[in-house]
Amino acid sequence: MTSSPRLAAWPRRVLWHALALALLGLIMYPLVWVAGASATPTNDIVGNTQLLPSRPVADNFARALEGMAGIPVWRFLGNSVLLAVFTVAGTVASSALAAYAFARLRFRGRNAMFVLMIGTLLMPFHAVIIPQYIIFQQLGLVDTYVPLLLGKFLATEAFFVFLMVQFMRQLPRELDQAARIDGCGYWGIFWHVIAPLSRPAFGTAAIFAFIWSWNDLFAPLIYLNTPEKFPIPLALRMYADQTSTSDFGAMIAMSVIALVPVVLFFLAFQRLLVQGMATTGLKG
Amino acid sequence: MVQRTGGAARSAAAVAMVLGLAATGCGGGEGSGSPEIRYSWWGNAERAELMREAIALFEEEHPDIAVTPTFSEYDTYWEKLSTQVAGGGMPDVLQMDNAYLREYSDRGVLLDLEAHEQNLDTSGLLEGLSTAGVVDGARYGVPVGGNTFSLVYAPELFEEAGAPMPEDGWTWEDYDEALTAVSEHTGGDPYGASDYTGLIWVLEAKLRQEGDALFTDGGKLGFGEDRLAEFWESAAGLREDGAVVPADEAEQVKPLAPLGANLSASEFTWDNMLTRYVEESDLDLELAPLPTDSGDSGQYLKPSMLLSASAQTSNPGAAAKLVDFMINDPRVAEIFGGNRGIPATEAQREAIDYTEVDQAIVDYEEDRMSDLQEAPPAPPAGAGALETEFIRLSEEVHHGQMSPDEAAGEFADFAERTLSS
Amino acid sequence: MVRTAQGPPSSRSSGDPAAPSAPPSPGKRARRLRRGREGVAGYAFLSPWILGFLGLTLGPMAASLYLSFTDYNLFTAPSWVGLDNYRRLFGDDQWLQSIRVTAAYVVLAVPLKLALALAVAMLLASPHRGQGLYRSAFYAPSLLGASVSVALVWRALFSDDAVVDRLLRSVGVETGGWVGNPDFALLLLVLLAVWQFGAPMVIFLAGLKQVPSQYYEAAEVDGAGWWRRFRTITLPMISPVLFFNLLLETVNSFQVFTASFVISGGTGGPAGSTLIYTLYLYQQGFTHYQMGYASAMAWMLILGAGLVVAALFRMSRTMVFYSGDEGR
Repeated sequence: MTSSPRLAAWPRRVLWHALALALLGLIMYPLVWVAGASATPTNDIVGNTQLLPSRPVADNFARALEGMAGIPVWRFLGNSVLLAVFTVAGTVASSALAAYAFARLRFRGRNAMFVLMIGTLLMPFHAVIIPQYIIFQQLGLVDTYVPLLLGKFLATEAFFVFLMVQFMRQLPRELDQAARIDGCGYWGIFWHVIAPLSRPAFGTAAIFAFIWSWNDLFAPLIYLNTPEKFPIPLALRMYADQTSTSDFGAMIAMSVIALVPVVLFFLAFQRLLVQGMATTGLKG
Repeated sequence: MVQRTGGAARSAAAVAMVLGLAATGCGGGEGSGSPEIRYSWWGNAERAELMREAIALFEEEHPDIAVTPTFSEYDTYWEKLSTQVAGGGMPDVLQMDNAYLREYSDRGVLLDLEAHEQNLDTSGLLEGLSTAGVVDGARYGVPVGGNTFSLVYAPELFEEAGAPMPEDGWTWEDYDEALTAVSEHTGGDPYGASDYTGLIWVLEAKLRQEGDALFTDGGKLGFGEDRLAEFWESAAGLREDGAVVPADEAEQVKPLAPLGANLSASEFTWDNMLTRYVEESDLDLELAPLPTDSGDSGQYLKPSMLLSASAQTSNPGAAAKLVDFMINDPRVAEIFGGNRGIPATEAQREAIDYTEVDQAIVDYEEDRMSDLQEAPPAPPAGAGALETEFIRLSEEVHHGQMSPDEAAGEFADFAERTLSS
Repeated sequence: MVRTAQGPPSSRSSGDPAAPSAPPSPGKRARRLRRGREGVAGYAFLSPWILGFLGLTLGPMAASLYLSFTDYNLFTAPSWVGLDNYRRLFGDDQWLQSIRVTAAYVVLAVPLKLALALAVAMLLASPHRGQGLYRSAFYAPSLLGASVSVALVWRALFSDDAVVDRLLRSVGVETGGWVGNPDFALLLLVLLAVWQFGAPMVIFLAGLKQVPSQYYEAAEVDGAGWWRRFRTITLPMISPVLFFNLLLETVNSFQVFTASFVISGGTGGPAGSTLIYTLYLYQQGFTHYQMGYASAMAWMLILGAGLVVAALFRMSRTMVFYSGDEGR
């Protein structure tokens, strides 16, 4: 379809944009509500059927920016950025290595290990959280970022390994051969051939890893004690406590503020997604 | 970032870097041998700020003790706490809910604070709260604040509708008549009341008025299946007539309660929740005595939250001092105002310069004091789960998905399983 | 359907890297040597994963398996009860309810989300002005995750007399708001999942970009229509990502937790209509302090979801085409 010459004709173009815009309106409606709610007085937010506030207020943002318990909101954002950046680095690096082994190398036990890896996807978080907590508690690592990051550097998120395996299996085998003739070892093949061609997969993984880390509530909840180390989702929850007065305005305002870094990260990396094989000069 | 990594060795180096980063990142309060107390509590952002001030004051007073606070909101607090207990990472001092007290104390994870009397003075507790937190003669918790179950209502709407006004000794029939009148007068905007058969505490009040209790002294269910079915059935007529907030409308405004969302003109709740409802609702709200058919109010002073300490704390003395400070020091009360509920000790009650709403709560409690009955012992382990189950089954009944009999049967089975284990 | 998508002849040579070029006799030795080296390399590349699996995943999984045969209240040592927990499950109405809810959720959410993701990805794959903008915008809902704010929006949109209700009423459908209606509440979770279709969309997009455009050109020359091109080129070429998305969305849907946790405030209400499996597991473990029972639930989920995943993998053998895999 991509190359269909008729697509360039203007009726098609108009149709395309009309379709995309209609979809866009549908998809964005709830987000606009959120943006509107961030400027709506707290008491009017729950069940608000209006899309945008009739008289917008700024004090939700003022309260959100005050932070909490003497900790500025920037600190929570900074913690989230730190966690997300290391998560991305660790996840992409370790998953790429594991994926290369699963996708391109043959060795004893490979299939069994692959099945085990897929099996780990099925384990519900809440059933293993206590044993995992015990491990890190015994190691004295609770209330550090290690429990949140160590697994990321050890490819424990099978999703990412599997994602990259699926992409690497698509790459033509002759590339390996050509590289071998040029004198490359396995590392060389991985580094000079597979890794560059897998950049779309890496970019995709990076974006997902960033967002999941950004929105993760339960692991930080369990492992972090010191409020100065809290990432943004933990701070957000503090505005809606069922035993005391909730401040939904400040909460929504803070979640809007918290969206900014993710959006920036996405915009920075989304270009990687489209760099398929066509743009890397292969076959295209 | 992909380019910079590679090879197991180099990713190991990256891990080591993170380790180092995390290690240096925690500006530790562990000085030379001074005890460090971890203090965990639930609450909102406002409480976080007030707690910081109170802790700073405590550290000023006790320079030898460092307090590290940690907090989360109520729902997630319990997952975190139970994981910490299971994994051996329990905080030294922690906020405790009466419903969960025995869950923890029965399993021996809480410290008996009686043994630390020299550091913790409980003599200032209000009479009705003096035994709160005591289980089988051991003090596993100290109440921070107290509250009593009450009715919050909008007097104006009641008056306009010509409904019977709440007064001492008014009956459940009076109340039903009043809420029906309000609903008719307003046409359901707002309804006269929220469906009060969704709260286990209304059931408790009724049981107590009848001379029974939610739980027996032996920790079993204090009422039969039939009584529960009758309780759910009792509001069936109100539901049919549209006199109380329908279940689907109540569901829609969650996480607010119907009263806070301007859906209803009265609701049973703990009196300290008035603060929240006044802020949320557009109506002018006041506290009223509970209806009763026997003349007994059934009301009692309940700890709204307790402070407990870990049995494994390495600094029980320092933990006791912190608890003492939080419940007795008048300056702490000044800092918190009504945020923790109305304080449990006389000294703290008097120290607060109450807001208008908080003053109304204090007045209410003082007014009711003569009618207040002795508090029941701490509910048995499993009470928290029972309350959750009660809410679920009430919803089933309110949505018409289950008959009161069916739901009562299921509740009895659940209680049998939960309370025996 | 797979055959039609095969690459140009040059790429059809054997996948065995050692086969063609080496001379016969030293080749054998070289091949054996390389096999050995390939094994070593495999383990070396896999070593972070192996470490993580042995150190962080295997132990806790084994522990939860053990706990599933015990009575464990989190505070005192677990006591062995054999198969009691598993036996109890089958008499537990709420457990059966949670299975029904989860099954309905998986069956509805997965196909809807994937269909929308693929449709939008194909829309965006063709070069148009502003497609980067659209792509980002379509992904935006996924950036929000599932938080209390999302719960508030969702409740607000689907309440009585809110936008969805008004729209439906204008075409004569009377629902009285979905949020408070136990028959509709699960649909809210499904729609939330569908709304956050960004992840599979991005993966589809990346997959679509890998389809060499000459295939389409060739098909165009042959006079193949839109549907035929989709069926014979697009589908086979993106079958690995399609399989990946299908598998992962299925697995994730079995495990969905945060959405139902925040939307229902942890209750699974109204009236148990959104009591997703993992939410019930959470309630058992962390509200009722029955971690042994919760662990048994976890392993029943692993068993159930495992069967579905195994079936998907079996299906993939005939349906999925890996262009780098020939000769295996």
